[in-house]
Amino acid sequence: MRRASSIEKESVQITTVEDLTGVFESIASTQVAKVKSKVELSEEFFQLLWKRYSAIRIDPKSRITTRGLDQKDARQVFVIISAEAGLSGDIDQRLIETMLQSYEAAKTDIVVLGTHGANQLTQRGIPFIHYFQVPETDKYIDVSPVIEAILPYSRITVYYEDYVSLGVQEIKTIDLMAAMRGMSQGVEDDSEAMTINETIFEPSIDEIAEQMEMTMMTLTLSQTILDSSLAQAASRFSAMAVAKKRAGELLADYHLEFHRAKRSESDRRLREVLVSLKNKRKRTTGGH
Amino acid sequence: MSKPVTDADLQVVARSPFHVFYEGPAQSVTAANKVGVFDILPGHADFFSILNPGEVIIETGSDQVNFDINNGILTVRNNEVTFFVNI
Repeated sequence: MRRASSIEKESVQITTVEDLTGVFESIASTQVAKVKSKVELSEEFFQLLWKRYSAIRIDPKSRITTRGLDQKDARQVFVIISAEAGLSGDIDQRLIETMLQSYEAAKTDIVVLGTHGANQLTQRGIPFIHYFQVPETDKYIDVSPVIEAILPYSRITVYYEDYVSLGVQEIKTIDLMAAMRGMSQGVEDDSEAMTINETIFEPSIDEIAEQMEMTMMTLTLSQTILDSSLAQAASRFSAMAVAKKRAGELLADYHLEFHRAKRSESDRRLREVLVSLKNKRKRTTGGH
Repeated sequence: MSKPVTDADLQVVARSPFHVFYEGPAQSVTAANKVGVFDILPGHADFFSILNPGEVIIETGSDQVNFDINNGILTVRNNEVTFFVNI
């Protein structure tokens, strides 16, 4: 049996781990709440913008939202939104595995966001043409370099982590253009048209429509980044909660072992005292 | 005391994806586009514009709301002014 003093030393270390995981758990939970409110605000913004966009009557064929629908054999791009750092459980691994199920090297390029995902791809020997850091969700999300990189492709598929609940995060795949159309579903189109006869457009109506479409595409991609951050924060929370629970259980085991060792040590000492008393008594009796 | 909202006021919503700068009645708004700095007053014609980076000023009647933008889109219709900024 180990010595009580060494068990006590180890149990102090486990207490520190338990405290640390507790802190990480509460940070992750705050992050979840913060990102959630951003997701809601961003959705409201998109819906308001879509309402105004739908008031402009331009030729639907020239709209970015219908682009690529008839080009099934053209080259496509996969956008992978992973975490910037570790401690997110196995969620990024699942993300890459899901992507690989539909990956065809001959007609697919990969754009990856997040160091963790880039590392996973490198380890598996899968090439990617662009790597971007995940924009910080605490600040303004600038996805324009990503949009610039993916715009030439006829089909843009985004793989990201979706938040279902604190305990459940799913890997999701969306077609970016379809997602744009999807985000506008349920938003009532503006029934009152704004035409060039009654409305001043500065610059032209086409330039404004293009700007609005780019804005909505940016918002859709930002939304997936926000969803991913939310899922990663939740995954981190779950991983930390499990680690904290495990540390707590380990600590209880250590306490039990410590008390056993302590008791065994005092029993041994008592035994030693009794034996030495017995020997002494023997010696004394033998002397008479 | 805040000024009561009248039909002659503009109704302004100014927001970025994660922030609402102002939402409520206003007497005028000032912003800039490619052509230059312009004001919107009640009764302005329907208007759509891409905004230049710079300052937006909203005169609410009792207060002035100022904020800087990197980019944006402005729509005006039936005295309803909507700013979509910093996208």
